[in-house]
Amino acid sequence: MTRAGWEVEAGDDGPVEDGKRALAYRADDGALALYNDYDRGRSILRTPKIPGTWSVRTAPAPGAHPLAAAAEVAGYGTFTFPYGPISAGVPEAGKFEVRTYGERVLGLVPVGGFKTRSVATSVLGLPVADAGLRVERMAGNLSASHVSAFLAAAESAEGRPVPTAELYVRALAQELQRLYNHVRQIARVAEAAAQNVGLAQVHALGEEILRLQGSVFGHRWMFGALLPGGPARRVDAADRDRLEHALGGIGAEFDVLWSLLLESRTFVDRLQSTAPLSKESAIASGAVGPTLRASGVGWDDRLRAPTPPYTDLFVSLPNETAGDALARILVRGAEIQASLVILEQLFDRWPTEESITEPAESPVGPGRGIARVEAPNGDLVYDVTVADGRVRRLQFRSPSAANWPAFAASMQDAVFTDFHFAFESFGLVFAETDG
Amino acid sequence: MSAPYLGILLTAAVVGLFASAPAAVLARRIGYGIALASSLLLLAVAIATLATGPVHGIAWTGPLGDPESLQLDGLSAFFALAASLVWTATSAYSIFYDDRRSPGLAVCYGLTLGAIALLVSASSFLLFLIGWEIMTLASYGMILQATGRGDRIFSAAFVFLAFGEASTLLVLIAVAAFHVLSGGFLEGPVSGAGALTSLVFVAALLGFGLKMGVAPFHLSEWLPIAHSSAPSNASAVLSSTLTLAGAYGLFRVVSDLGSPPAWWGGLMLAIGAISVLLGALFASVSEHTKGLPAYSTIENNGLILVALGVALLAEANGLTELAVFALFAAFFQAIAHAVAKTALFLSAGYVEHATGTFDLSAVAGGAKRSDPGETEGTLVAALSLAAAPPLAGFVSEWMILESLFQSYRFSSPEAQFLGLLAGAAVALAAGLIVVAMVKFVGFALLWKPSPGATAPRAAGLGTTVGAVGGILVGLGVGAPWILKGVAPGVAAFAHAAVTAPVSGLLAVPDGWSIVSGSPFGILSPPVVPIAIGLASVVAWGYFRLGGGRRTRTVEPWMAGSAPGRPGETYTSFGYSTGIRIMLRSILRTREVRASVGPVTEAGLATPVPYNVDLEVLDVFKLFYDDLVAATAAVSDAFKVAIMPGRLGRYLAYILLVTLAVVVYVAVAA
Amino acid sequence: MFGWLGRSAARGILTTRYPDAPPTPSEAPVSAHAPEPRPAVPISPNAVAGCPVRAIAPDGVDQGRCIRCARCLAQGFEFSGPVALATAKRPDRPEGPGAILGGAAPLARLGRSIHVFLVDVGSCNACNLEVLSIAHPQYDASRLGIFFTNSPRHADVLLVVGVPTEAMVEPLRRAYDAIPAPKAVVATGACAIRGGVFEGTPGLRSGVDEIVPVDLYVPGCPPPPVAVLDALLRLIGRERTEAPT
Ligand code: SF4
Ligand code: SF4
Repeated sequence: MTRAGWEVEAGDDGPVEDGKRALAYRADDGALALYNDYDRGRSILRTPKIPGTWSVRTAPAPGAHPLAAAAEVAGYGTFTFPYGPISAGVPEAGKFEVRTYGERVLGLVPVGGFKTRSVATSVLGLPVADAGLRVERMAGNLSASHVSAFLAAAESAEGRPVPTAELYVRALAQELQRLYNHVRQIARVAEAAAQNVGLAQVHALGEEILRLQGSVFGHRWMFGALLPGGPARRVDAADRDRLEHALGGIGAEFDVLWSLLLESRTFVDRLQSTAPLSKESAIASGAVGPTLRASGVGWDDRLRAPTPPYTDLFVSLPNETAGDALARILVRGAEIQASLVILEQLFDRWPTEESITEPAESPVGPGRGIARVEAPNGDLVYDVTVADGRVRRLQFRSPSAANWPAFAASMQDAVFTDFHFAFESFGLVFAETDG
Repeated sequence: MSAPYLGILLTAAVVGLFASAPAAVLARRIGYGIALASSLLLLAVAIATLATGPVHGIAWTGPLGDPESLQLDGLSAFFALAASLVWTATSAYSIFYDDRRSPGLAVCYGLTLGAIALLVSASSFLLFLIGWEIMTLASYGMILQATGRGDRIFSAAFVFLAFGEASTLLVLIAVAAFHVLSGGFLEGPVSGAGALTSLVFVAALLGFGLKMGVAPFHLSEWLPIAHSSAPSNASAVLSSTLTLAGAYGLFRVVSDLGSPPAWWGGLMLAIGAISVLLGALFASVSEHTKGLPAYSTIENNGLILVALGVALLAEANGLTELAVFALFAAFFQAIAHAVAKTALFLSAGYVEHATGTFDLSAVAGGAKRSDPGETEGTLVAALSLAAAPPLAGFVSEWMILESLFQSYRFSSPEAQFLGLLAGAAVALAAGLIVVAMVKFVGFALLWKPSPGATAPRAAGLGTTVGAVGGILVGLGVGAPWILKGVAPGVAAFAHAAVTAPVSGLLAVPDGWSIVSGSPFGILSPPVVPIAIGLASVVAWGYFRLGGGRRTRTVEPWMAGSAPGRPGETYTSFGYSTGIRIMLRSILRTREVRASVGPVTEAGLATPVPYNVDLEVLDVFKLFYDDLVAATAAVSDAFKVAIMPGRLGRYLAYILLVTLAVVVYVAVAA
Repeated sequence: MFGWLGRSAARGILTTRYPDAPPTPSEAPVSAHAPEPRPAVPISPNAVAGCPVRAIAPDGVDQGRCIRCARCLAQGFEFSGPVALATAKRPDRPEGPGAILGGAAPLARLGRSIHVFLVDVGSCNACNLEVLSIAHPQYDASRLGIFFTNSPRHADVLLVVGVPTEAMVEPLRRAYDAIPAPKAVVATGACAIRGGVFEGTPGLRSGVDEIVPVDLYVPGCPPPPVAVLDALLRLIGRERTEAPT
């Protein structure tokens, strides 16, 4: 039995030095501020109100609204080019307003709010398991991360310990989904670079991962699989053997495709120095995840703010410094390999207590819990208040929400044709941004 | 053989054009009316001349003792025809348009027309030069009538005058040298490749080229028009017929020089090809409703030079057939351009009238156009300039490319290579000019009217521009017959009887097709519209018979956003920014940014708003700016060194000069 | 380049034989099948009460609502129904599996090829990605004449995923208007059919058919790629016909 959530430190509200405030968010009642100290590699999590805190909006507003700011541009012939909300090439409902005089991006404002399903408010009053059904459908391709963070926060709120094997299942699901998302992101970039043969092969790999998830968890997107009372949470020895074998094949296949892709000059050239993001602006804009790591900041929640089972695992930290689209894709490729190593460790150390006890029927107590998870596209934070087994308040900060300003900044002065490479290299998801 | 009354009518037309100037002092509309009538008269005389043969007006003895008269031969009749077509349109338009300007414009307008008519029908170079100079001064006067910032107008007019006088100087040199060679003024041909003959050629090419606005003198074309925002009728006359006068002068001089050496044609071809490319390139990125057509004029006059260059090269290579074909191409290009360009300028004037702007990206939200024929006429003209079949511009572009294709027949590899390069330049320019014309049509013609605003109704304008469009269709479809008609002009140029490259081939009736050489390409202009017409009938019939099919109107697809919101539509500028960035090394594209508003906190706070300008630059303008600066510096230095303003120094100069004269006289004696 | 071709050759044929053969278990995991009461087991009140989206009524399952959460498996249900059960009527109540109700395939006269325009009006992304994956090597929709297009102007099929948010109502209408006739609309996934797990949330529409007329509903959360393929083939009358098992 392990405690899953994060302890909230009731710290003082002393000043926080500049440059270290990279990540923060504030709940509507009772501020929550989260700082990553990149120099010392630790986080500070505080609850008291800190005046003037630099914050990211966490409760997505309904209706279309800008997700990042861009400079107002005037001048002869300038205009705003609206792209979306049904934009070919971005398979999600979302819009971009490009300020331009033609050809060149003078400023880009991502506009969200076209997919707001109000998950955070619609789950209020629901039992945790029912709320989980909605939370995992917030962003289907990131369901494992969202559900894991949500459950960990809820369990922490109730002060309920979780069987270790349960945490292993969650980690397994998260790593599988990381594989899928990174593979898909690489395929999308290959698509933008018209690497057609390559992209078909990489997409085929993504489909294989979905099928693997389907065969182990009964659902291709693992919906319901991690929730209390879920049907297929028992990943038994036979499942693990099958997984290990299949992942071995996927890993070998990926290595071949990856080296072929990196040998392709058109692919590499097109990504190099496209949509660059310096280390300074990555930190200043509050970027997280592979975006941050590609700009030379070595931060990964699995390493710097780990929760079990990551506390017991060896996690490598792929890191690039160029900050361009190529760097972001290189980080993802390396993370696929790193995830395969993590998965091997999971199977090796799989807890012997196979039987997972069903959650206690009587909740331990009401409270507030906070949990962080390193989702495929970055640091995901959930802040959940639970009473009587029902969700009373839910706040979250998705990695996409954190990364939009970085994306907008990287597109400054790019040309139109850079758009798809840049967008796909960031791995932004409107669904989790809008909530 | 011609009837004597034609000569009288010719004289009457020229006098009438001049007379419209003083009449305009009384009432502007009367002046324009007289100009219109005289233009129509000149048009009739020119057509009669082409049909029947040279026309001679009243003769008198000139100040140098030569017999002088007003006359038209095949060559001058052709140019008189093209010019009078343009003037008919511009004069009709002016009657409605020029309601806000001083009578000065109408006076200068009449003088310009009269001067061009005079120089075209001059029997001697002396008379020609008189016409030439009046034309230059009167057009200078027209530019001064522009509205807008005084200093800009003045400097634009000054540039025009400076280039104009430089042109006169070079033409004088050519004429003087010619006189030394032949003892006459308009008599030729003078043959031989002597240094003096070449001097005549080069001076004429540069002098008349200056007026045609070809490279590297293209500044003389776009700058006065774009910078002064000259009145529309003036722009049309400047861009369509002043350049026509230059072309006429060049044709005339070259026709008087026999057996051209190959390098003449090569030089012409090179200058032409560069002009074509520069003109098209700058037209495609131009943002000025009149500057864009002016750049297109540079391209079109370049094309005339290209065709003429091929003709001279072909003649030097003994390829008579190709030479004649290229000449026909040059002639057809001249008339196709002059007519089409008129419509564009008249339309630009209307846009200014309705929206108060010359900036293509700012033309928006004006009133709905209400003059029937105006939109259609302008569209046809723009399509013709973009060389779309079956219009006049298409036929001439086809003919020029066909003649360039045959440059493989030249004997020297240099000439072949030059033909190849010129062909590539012309083809590239053809693409660029499509961009330019799409811009003009898309942003100056098809703007989205804002509800409520009413357009100034200019009665007769639509008819005028529509008629110009009709002429372009007629010229294009009837090209084989027009070519037959201009054969006397070509003959006068070539000093030989020529047959038009018109025949019947491939089941097309005799005289319906243009043949570019044997064996080479063939085009039947009348068949194109027939084919298009037949296809339309089939489509229309299918649609009718299909029954129950209705037209469905949907809004444009803008990725799900509401289309056409203010500030969210593509600007004309944005349309051609691709070219600005791609060809930045030629266009010297430069981005200038200036932040406006206070600098706020960095990071997520609202970034600083800024103003951006993407500028392009004509490198030749830089050169001329440098030239001006250098001249000023030299004269400054001269002033400081020689004329310091001290009385003693000046007395010393006078003493020195007196001494020198005394010594000279003493020695000579 | 040759490396890629070699790789393709080495991997061999990945593409499914569907619709010539039934979907394999790897193509359609358990939750791809429709939930049905076990044979001879009556629907219990517990099952009705336990379904989080009220898809179970005493007399049957509303497949259009079901989000495949598997809760009912403990209440006498099993995932044993068909994978492909697109219907032309909103499946408020079960219809015969796979029947196009109300006549012939709507795009039959387009012959052998259709172009699909995918519009997301508020999905969780799983539906989009499942739909897009029919173009991937394992399904290769182009062999069946099914292509994606980036412009509604070239489209025959408007394939909608997600629960319509207020902000997407107008864009969806515009997309529908922009497609030339004949056209068909396919509501794909529980969200698009009647809101899925989000049914009843303020600010959301209960289904795409509140905005544009729908020709075909494809149940599932998300429907697996073979179900999407089946629905599109139905539009041109080329779906796999098999006796209900
Ligand atoms: S799977 Fe879930 S949603 Fe579907 S019927 Fe069963 S309980 Fe209801
Ligand atoms: S139906 Fe299910 S998978 Fe599809 S969008 Fe809705 S929640 Fe996501």
